[in-house]
Amino acid sequence: MTTLTVNGIETTLDVPPRTHLADALRETLGLTGTHLGCEHGVCGACTVELDGSPARACIAFAAACAGAVVRTIEGFEYDSVMAELRAAFTAHHALQCGYCTPGMLITARDIVLRIPGADEARVRRELAGNLCRCTGYQGIVDAILAVLAARRG
Amino acid sequence: MADGGSGKGVGARLPRKEDDRFLRGKGRFVADIRIPGMREVAFLRGPIAHARIGAITVPEAHRAAVFTASDLTDVAPIRAYSGLKGFRRSDQPVLATGKVRHVGEAVAMIVAATRAEAEDIAGLIDIAWEPLPALVDMAEARATTTRVHEEWPDNIVLETFVDDDLSDIAATAPIVIRRSLRTARQCMSPIEGRGVVAEWDGRLDQLVMWSSAQMPHITRSGLSECLGLDHGQIRVISPDVGGGFGYKGILLPEEVALGWLARRIGAPVRWIEDRFEQLSANANCREHAYELTAYADGEGTLLALDCEAMVDAGAYSSYPFSACLEAAQIASILPGPYRFGRYRCRTFSVATNKPPILPYRGVARTGVCYAIETVMDAIAEATGIDIETVRQRNLVRSEEMPYTNVTNKVFDSGDYPEALRRAAAALDIPTLRAQQASETGPVRTGVGLSIFCEQGAHGTAVYHGWGIPMVPGHEQAQARLTPDGVLELRIGAHSHGQGMETSLAQVAHTILGINPAAVRLVHGDTALTPYSTGTWGSRSAVMSGGAVAAACETLAKRIAAIGAHLLQAEAGSVRVEDGSVVAPGGASVTLREVAHTWYRAPQLLPRDVDPAGLDVTAGYKPLSDGGTFSYAAHACAVTVDTETGFVTLGRYVIAEDGGVCLNPMIVDGQVLGGTAQGIGTALYEEMPYDGEAQPLAASLADYLLPGAGEIPRIAIEHMETPSPLTRFGQKGIGESGAIGPPAAIANAVNDALRPLGARVDALPITPRRILEALARAGR
Ligand code: FES
Ligand code: FES
Repeated sequence: MTTLTVNGIETTLDVPPRTHLADALRETLGLTGTHLGCEHGVCGACTVELDGSPARACIAFAAACAGAVVRTIEGFEYDSVMAELRAAFTAHHALQCGYCTPGMLITARDIVLRIPGADEARVRRELAGNLCRCTGYQGIVDAILAVLAARRG
Repeated sequence: MADGGSGKGVGARLPRKEDDRFLRGKGRFVADIRIPGMREVAFLRGPIAHARIGAITVPEAHRAAVFTASDLTDVAPIRAYSGLKGFRRSDQPVLATGKVRHVGEAVAMIVAATRAEAEDIAGLIDIAWEPLPALVDMAEARATTTRVHEEWPDNIVLETFVDDDLSDIAATAPIVIRRSLRTARQCMSPIEGRGVVAEWDGRLDQLVMWSSAQMPHITRSGLSECLGLDHGQIRVISPDVGGGFGYKGILLPEEVALGWLARRIGAPVRWIEDRFEQLSANANCREHAYELTAYADGEGTLLALDCEAMVDAGAYSSYPFSACLEAAQIASILPGPYRFGRYRCRTFSVATNKPPILPYRGVARTGVCYAIETVMDAIAEATGIDIETVRQRNLVRSEEMPYTNVTNKVFDSGDYPEALRRAAAALDIPTLRAQQASETGPVRTGVGLSIFCEQGAHGTAVYHGWGIPMVPGHEQAQARLTPDGVLELRIGAHSHGQGMETSLAQVAHTILGINPAAVRLVHGDTALTPYSTGTWGSRSAVMSGGAVAAACETLAKRIAAIGAHLLQAEAGSVRVEDGSVVAPGGASVTLREVAHTWYRAPQLLPRDVDPAGLDVTAGYKPLSDGGTFSYAAHACAVTVDTETGFVTLGRYVIAEDGGVCLNPMIVDGQVLGGTAQGIGTALYEEMPYDGEAQPLAASLADYLLPGAGEIPRIAIEHMETPSPLTRFGQKGIGESGAIGPPAAIANAVNDALRPLGARVDALPITPRRILEALARAGR
């Protein structure tokens, strides 16, 4: 039994020790907005917020997350920074199939809050852990830069 | 702009309707589907590339959970034959039968409560393998007595020959170029893999299958052939698809297996491909080898081209495209956008012990563009003419359009020289040449160009010629006004990121004036949509766009007739615009009122109303089956660090022409995304195999997909030459971006290496290949 907070709700998971956090979120809690692209910790599709920072849910064991505070894409429904990013992602055509998008948004939100002065090169470097096969990244980078610029005023 | 100024029709950069659900994590992909009682499937895949399967021993406790070929006696193998003369037929068993022919071929299907438990059981199954020599290289496979398919006389799937006696030119041409080029085997790598959920509906006597598929109707036809069910007993639903690029344009053995299993065990079943399966069992595209001889005159005019090409077709012929399309297409499209008149080309599709080849975005085009553009740079080098001028001398010119080339392709429209001029001008080659002239250190600048045209949306005549199981005909669409005036569009093609929910709503807006927000696209479900070969071959904007327009035009007439009656106006005098029917005096009724009248107040209808109502099915074909030809020129600068072998991309410019764009923002997105894939082909992506045909890149840490840091900002220059063949002048362009980069980047790298006497003749251009080339040059 592992107790953790998921999207603001204290939750007890009863999953086998080998279950990774992404499977627990998806299969046990029905939070299918967290996607799996590699389960090797490379593609970033499974990125969630874990204790305030982006983390790969495919290489964290659920049983090791006791006491953790986890936020998935579903948990950002009313988040104002995420709302800005969503609008910018649409305006800059930053998604095609949408599969990488939840992980991309969680990383993007972290960039926006953590590095308010980030320029294009920095944004690209920070995105190194999130693969997108559809967009060629330009729309994603532009969307993040637009939110950064708007927040700088 | 064709959108009439509303900002919402054809030609508008309308934000996408589908974005919202993905941005909130509400997309529904196949792995998100839950059915009560659903069981999980894992496949036991052969660990050896070529081996006979001896006794399969399953522990007693797990017998009921394990299924092998001997259980699937009522399942026919997958058969994808081509009608091309000399094509060698082979069947692909759904589960390996007798022997395995590539690493990762499924041998047993295991069902359990969870995937992990199914994999545990797979680990307990013992198979007595009798290894056979593995064919890993296509040249070697042509020479050996080992057979991928024992009943064949050799390992050649198909040989094609475009014949011409070039000896007169060979004897006199002042310039003769020879090149041997190779491209690597790649894995298409959508971020979402494949996946299948299957359920047998006993009430309807119907198999219901959810699959991450580009071509659900073709999947259904294939399932029908393999499972012996009629089409009415099969419903295929393709939910949101997390990228395709060709990887999901296939009937999967796993689909057939799960379809059979769901019925057999009477429970819903699910299989979700993991990345290891994808990489180890399905690196299935792009591996070409070229032997090129080109003849040119002293002015740089290409006189003739002679080519022998091989494609590693892998072990089986995949449904529906078959194992020979790639090589056969090489022969027909190698001449590219150029106007030379003499051509000889021999191609071989060679069977090996590798995964069966599938057409990846661009299909053969990426390889042939690399080949012909390498030749162009070689002519430039031999003649001392600059790289832009040598191409300009050979390109088909706009005043020659429509142009029939040496392989009888009919280029529909465009200005190829202008695209090249724009891309080259935007790159600013003189400044880069000055930079090069000043370089003496280890870091060298290179400049590269490529230009190509892309046949898209080609139809019946072309595919009938290939003789494969799938021949596209008229594309159909349905347009239906609901009682409250919402427009439902139904198409048989499917989106895997192309944004058709938006672009087809724009088409409807252009015809009916209806707000795109009031248009819903229904696609990806064979029970709800008209038959279609699906989304492949850069065809949906042309084919589904044309079909939706045709359906909306007929619907507009029926709406006008009812509207005129309600307005007490002459039937022919009203206009349908802005979501209303408008009489000459300005009086109007909304589409909603018209729809309400048809469905809920029929007493108000005219007596001669069309009884077919507000529900239209229409079919569409372009004026010619030969396809549209979009085109693009790519121009790039690179720097090569000759000490480390690392390549850094500098400025990258694309001048492209896809005719009239339904939504230019979406087209840009396709070009940018395709270009990133092309950069992967050029510099990073390769599935190496060892001498036993074992794949050596088993995770995304070994198989390198380009990330945001590897892709430079790409500048796009737009041109817009309408196609004379299509409804709005649109051309197929979805694959375009993936075609040009390897050629342009390879030319740029070799331009940088030229002063050092080195040249790389293989893709991807890795640091190792660059350092080896420098070492060969004595550097
Ligand atoms: S699924 Fe976790 S990093 Fe790819
Ligand atoms: S939008 Fe498809 S992977 Fe990023």
